[in-house]
Amino acid sequence: MPKSKKEIIAIDSISKIYHLGDNVVKALDEVSISIYENDFISIMGPSGSGKSTLMNIIGCLDVPTKGVYKFNNELISEMNDSQLANIRNEKIGFVFQTFNLLPKLNSLQNVEVPLIYSSLGRKKRIERSEEALSIVGLSDRMTHKPNELSGGQRQRVAIARALVNKPSIILADEPTGNLDSKSGIEILKFFDELHKAGNTLIIVTHEESVAKRAKRRVELFDGKIVVDE
Amino acid sequence: MNSLFKNIVIGLTAVRANLTRVILTSLGLTIGIFTVSIVTAGVSSIDKEFDKAMEYYGNDKVYVGTWPWSFDFDWWKYRNRPKIDEDSLAYISQYSTYITDVSIKKNTWTKATFGNKSSWLQLNGVYPNYDEMLSGTKIVNGRFFSQNEWDLQRRVVIVGGTVRDGFFDGQDPIGKKIRLNNVTFEIIGELKEQGFGMVPGGSLDNLVIMPSTTFKRILTRWGFDELVLKTKPEDIVKAKEEVGLIMRVARKLKPEQDDNFAVNSADAYQTQFDTLKIAIAGMGFLVTGISLVVSAIGIMNVMFVSVRERTKEIGLRKAMGATNNNILIQFLSEAVAISIIGGSTGIILVKLITVILSSYLPVEFNLLLIFYTFMVCVFIGITAGMIPARTAANLNPIDALRHE
Repeated sequence: MPKSKKEIIAIDSISKIYHLGDNVVKALDEVSISIYENDFISIMGPSGSGKSTLMNIIGCLDVPTKGVYKFNNELISEMNDSQLANIRNEKIGFVFQTFNLLPKLNSLQNVEVPLIYSSLGRKKRIERSEEALSIVGLSDRMTHKPNELSGGQRQRVAIARALVNKPSIILADEPTGNLDSKSGIEILKFFDELHKAGNTLIIVTHEESVAKRAKRRVELFDGKIVVDE
Repeated sequence: MNSLFKNIVIGLTAVRANLTRVILTSLGLTIGIFTVSIVTAGVSSIDKEFDKAMEYYGNDKVYVGTWPWSFDFDWWKYRNRPKIDEDSLAYISQYSTYITDVSIKKNTWTKATFGNKSSWLQLNGVYPNYDEMLSGTKIVNGRFFSQNEWDLQRRVVIVGGTVRDGFFDGQDPIGKKIRLNNVTFEIIGELKEQGFGMVPGGSLDNLVIMPSTTFKRILTRWGFDELVLKTKPEDIVKAKEEVGLIMRVARKLKPEQDDNFAVNSADAYQTQFDTLKIAIAGMGFLVTGISLVVSAIGIMNVMFVSVRERTKEIGLRKAMGATNNNILIQFLSEAVAISIIGGSTGIILVKLITVILSSYLPVEFNLLLIFYTFMVCVFIGITAGMIPARTAANLNPIDALRHE
């Protein structure tokens, strides 16, 4: 990676320690990583390796027990709940394995959810949501509820939802895990396009085929980064 | 403010999605609000009735009879008391400093007929000056009888407000001849209609007033007499005391003898009305209190279910940037909405009941009631929803997202 790129995330020797009864579990052990603008990273590792924990910390859903996490030079590791919520709202787009669309809302309303927690007015919110849906090619499915959409389409709605706030990074947790291979490839192609368009992507996966598409590969084992290339 | 509104909208959407459950839950509150409204309406009606009674009996009048105006009858003691007679009036007019006007009031019930119509009416025989002593029931048509008519025992009557409709199909009764106890009387005056009343002795309108001389000579010797004494409203307590003393003199009672008469005034009803009011209000508020607490628990329960059902949604919303407060408001507004739905249903029921009953019962529908109900509902909603909403707001987003 050329170092001239802007550093978005600076993680410096963070640890996440859980106490389960008398056992002390180090989910992350002194992990350091920098993520730059327009990175396309895959995070791999067996279950229990700490990749989900790292993902949650990068996504500001969780805070490290030790260490320093800076996002755009803001010190995340010392923020309170509502400041974290703000960062999640403005800077991070999430894509989940199980899509996590709200079943009672249609595509447009689902995409609108993050904007509801921003300061945008109603008209602007709908405009932005329509724009995001057209990026994922679902302009003609705006009034469909999730149960009227195919798996691939649902994940595309979820991606539109992740894009709608124009986030600094997009975090995808096993985005193809619940899809058939054809839809999976479709989604991955879409991630390539997002990368080309200048977005910063982080994909957590355990599928080699998915990881290959990424430009940078990070592997975790026992709470430590063992590969970063 | 904008964000507050948006979160309220999210909460309300959830209400619409679970309408059946919401309506069932809010039923408890409906019952509570319904009871409290009916009780409040009932109490305020009792107040109005009391005012009416005060107007009828007058806050400036002292009544002397054999029976005290209360419910705790000591029947044997009172029934053997000597009858009230007009001789006592002379003593009172002569010695009292507070009493400004006096009259006898002879009471009986009799059958009145006009053509083929007949009805039982309350009959009063009084002095000509009783006209000035009437407080609430003024003459609105015709005139009172004169001293001359009283002296000559003329058969003239003044009728109450219902007689016009009851006997004359709403036509002017003045000059008509009516038969009371098979004696023909001419109607010379009509009293203001009082409407339904809870005044002891029945309606204020089923009434006929005539000279006491006529009453005694021509009509009947049955019935009981009362002395009606007028004073100033501010002197009523002192006047009662004084009348009591004068009556003892008139009756020539020895100091160790008990009174064998009763001095009454309208405020005697105050205690009775207050007792009634407290009984109704106490029962009502007990029922209301219980149903409000039960419904609050019901709302809390449903909110816990709602939070559990939507744990994943909460996790997602938090991941998308919802703050704890956003979630709190979302669930609080859901709880408040449930309770307002219940309360509004209650109010609508009350309104229906008052409309249906208004012709039978004096029930008041108060606009302020709607406001209070609204406030109570908001309060109950917030109280009942607070714990579940806080639980939702404080959920860890990672655990919530993993929840199935």
